[in-house]
Amino acid sequence: MDRTQTVRHWLETGVVDIFFGYRLVEGHPLPHGFTRDKLSEVEEIVDSESRYPLEQLATHFSSSHPEATIGMFARDCNRRALNVLVVWNQLQSDTIKTIDINCCPSPLKKHADCSYLEPEQPGNFKLRAGIANNAETQEVEELDQQELLSRWMYEFQKCIKCYGCRNICPVCFCRECSLEHPDLVHTGRLPPEVPIFHLVRATHMAGRCVDCGLCEEACPMDIPLRLLYRKVNRIVSDVFGYDTGTSQEQPPFSVLGEKVTLTPKPLETS
Amino acid sequence: MTIKRVTFLQELLSFMGLKDRLHLSWISSAEAGKFVQVINDFTEKIRAMGPNPLKGYDLRPWLERLRPPDNIEKTDAAQVPSEEPEMLLIR
Repeated sequence: MDRTQTVRHWLETGVVDIFFGYRLVEGHPLPHGFTRDKLSEVEEIVDSESRYPLEQLATHFSSSHPEATIGMFARDCNRRALNVLVVWNQLQSDTIKTIDINCCPSPLKKHADCSYLEPEQPGNFKLRAGIANNAETQEVEELDQQELLSRWMYEFQKCIKCYGCRNICPVCFCRECSLEHPDLVHTGRLPPEVPIFHLVRATHMAGRCVDCGLCEEACPMDIPLRLLYRKVNRIVSDVFGYDTGTSQEQPPFSVLGEKVTLTPKPLETS
Repeated sequence: MTIKRVTFLQELLSFMGLKDRLHLSWISSAEAGKFVQVINDFTEKIRAMGPNPLKGYDLRPWLERLRPPDNIEKTDAAQVPSEEPEMLLIR
């Protein structure tokens, strides 16, 4: 059964109530929720290089329709994000059904479909003053501390505070965002308070970021966010031994202390 | 857990270029001598490193390069305020 038929079958037989995929609109593949009421639309379902956080749509939909079963296209990054969302109790794993679509290249499959396989090659000025988006964390760590600060500050001060990184993020689900709290972040000035604005987001990404790269793809100012969050997650992995996206437990920052090992017992009386 | 969290922050700050500026020690209320020692050592360490580079960090050199050259004719819509806006300096 091909993809279209599977989706049609799922919708017809009630396996899923809504299916999130992509539909060609004026030649652009855009995220779309396919439903039983409009089955004819399923003929237009496509998968392509374009990526949108479909699991974010699923989370929104699930918050208003907790009983509904949801189907969606899933790449590897979507799968990790779904895992994180389940761990954080934003979705229930038994109400989600996925259809795999082609994504990152691997030794077994050379052909890849993703809008952001490689970051752009950095220009001369960025190489001299900033941090290349395609750099490895180890390369960056080798820089002298003063230079590191200067380079990060160059990257951060470009920020136009569009919140694009947060809005596209598949694992950003908080109803209240500390980056929008008027007492924590000043309004009406650009750049935002650097570097704290970006470091707050980086800290919130610790144990959550699934390294999908959508933030960097969305960033109009080309800030190497993916590199920063990748480093943050590497620290989480080294220090706490927590693997984001695959672990079944809550991330370490949501745990207030070590697990209790002593059991309460009555005082001994002499 | 605390030591892990602080280690996380130390590593993150070190990735930003602010290494060794966060310190964690366990001191009991009975260990006055240790308290004095830790505070003195850390004070000396920070004094040797100099003030926080972010204090008064000047973004002007960076922002200057982003500004369009003066010889471009400015229309009314794109009027740039003549005085230097306050936002350029981090306090």
